[in-house]
Amino acid sequence: MKKALLIAEDISELSELRAVAAELDAVEVEAMGPEDLQNTPALERFGLTRLYTSTSWSEDPAESLGKMLAELISGSGAELVLGVSRKRLKDVFARAAQILKSPLLTDCLSATWSDGELVVERPTLGGGYVENLVVKKFPTLLALQQRGRQISDLSGKAPEVVRLEGKFSGVRAPRLISSEAVSRSGVDLAKSRIIVSVGRGFKRKEDLKLAEELAKLLGGELACSRPIASDMGWMPEDRHVGLSGKWVSPSLYLAIGISGQVQHMVGVRNSRIIVAVNNDPSAPIHREADYSVVADLYEFIPALVRELKARSARPSG
Amino acid sequence: MPVIHVFVKQVPDVSTLEYDPSSLGPRLEKATLRLGEVDLVALEAAVRIKERMGGEVVVISAGERVNELVLREALAIGGDRCFYVSDPRMAQADSWVTANVLAQLSLRAGKADLLLCGEASSDQGNYQLGPRLSEILGYPCITYATQLELSGEKLRVRRNLEDKVETFECGLPAIVSASLELAAPRLPSLLMIRAASRKPITRLEISALGLSDAMLESGIVRRSVRVTKTSRKNQVLKGDTGECAVKLIESLQKEGVLAI
Repeated sequence: MKKALLIAEDISELSELRAVAAELDAVEVEAMGPEDLQNTPALERFGLTRLYTSTSWSEDPAESLGKMLAELISGSGAELVLGVSRKRLKDVFARAAQILKSPLLTDCLSATWSDGELVVERPTLGGGYVENLVVKKFPTLLALQQRGRQISDLSGKAPEVVRLEGKFSGVRAPRLISSEAVSRSGVDLAKSRIIVSVGRGFKRKEDLKLAEELAKLLGGELACSRPIASDMGWMPEDRHVGLSGKWVSPSLYLAIGISGQVQHMVGVRNSRIIVAVNNDPSAPIHREADYSVVADLYEFIPALVRELKARSARPSG
Repeated sequence: MPVIHVFVKQVPDVSTLEYDPSSLGPRLEKATLRLGEVDLVALEAAVRIKERMGGEVVVISAGERVNELVLREALAIGGDRCFYVSDPRMAQADSWVTANVLAQLSLRAGKADLLLCGEASSDQGNYQLGPRLSEILGYPCITYATQLELSGEKLRVRRNLEDKVETFECGLPAIVSASLELAAPRLPSLLMIRAASRKPITRLEISALGLSDAMLESGIVRRSVRVTKTSRKNQVLKGDTGECAVKLIESLQKEGVLAI
């Protein structure tokens, strides 16, 4: 029915996007990604007709990549262009969409055909709402939230590999002066069962030890709200939970000193149990928690730790 | 002295937005209107440049039923004049239409050295304006800025991606989209609010922007918007900290979410 083009940074993205393309009944699927994607073992299981590789995909400025992508899309005749919603990809997709006079929908939760129409769900109004959009113009670009979907093996031939030479002269682009990798915890919070999360209620970076000890006792992972990672830099960005960070779904989410802005809560909504510890009784988090404790975290967390230790020391009957 | 165009959007205040319990849709007609959170950050960054280097800050906005009082806030913070479009067609505008309209408004507001916008609006969160303007106007764009320095004609911008921090340099004119971390917006003083009432606001008709029908045709239709509330138990634990700790552990054990 439709031809799809997948823009993947790595093999896990390719697998996820291929699964979405299959759900959307794409009859022909092509992919584009960095050069090492072609070395993936058993590439035929992805059911791709063509794999475009680019040596410059990870280095070129968005100004050039947008033009390259727009040319690739119109050249391939793809009606659906799928990517995983990351910051840089959204920048490049927006440019290609503008050149092609196309819509781009970002941070999509799902995409389905319904009565011959492409219906996309995405968060809106700060994340507290979901909107249902019908796409009217093609080609259309979708930047999807990563959900860990995987394609099961498809039969097929190995794709034809086409190397892209993306050289666009005369493009005005900013000059990259420096690029530093940021520290990463390497933890995949999306898979954590217990999460202890910290917010602005903590006054000093050293105080995070309180939460760390609690997380360790509970066998959980430490996470944080946006300001703790972005403004204060107290924790790595991959521990940031919320609209622009990780979306988590643990059995237990323990929010300490977090006010509960809608942009944070959207990332934790799928938690089974939410506990709020906040000394402000009017903090919005209390309205979105299963269990609330209105207390000073500096008193409550040590008390909770003491009680947990006492219980684990006691022989269980 | 740099002329800076800042793009702002009138949005419902999402922190106080209520929903209709039967339709589960937002009660937008009752919403408090304000300027987008990260738009104010972009405006603050622009005003700081003006305070240091002189020049002018022009506020650009488009929407349906735009309230000039909301735009006055941008002028109170330090904008010098404002150009805007208020048209019912903007209610269905997608990022393509929005960028086309705002680019033309900016061109009509005069020459700009620096164009600043938020990385995404507080309501739609599309993350597209900066790059789309870049394609229309042909100026380079640095997205997700967390630091910005302008010295002479040279712009230096730092930004955070998921896995790295990058620094760019760029000549003018250029476009920068701001992240929340770029600057802490100021609250206007009474004096600034009073001064803003005398600053010029120009309303243009969408038909005066020279845009073809295709450039005003949205590629998407919004079918529904629903709140995503999950019901919670909302139990407030009472007692001193020790008692609360015991109650919490026992509740969580009953829920079966504690390994201990």
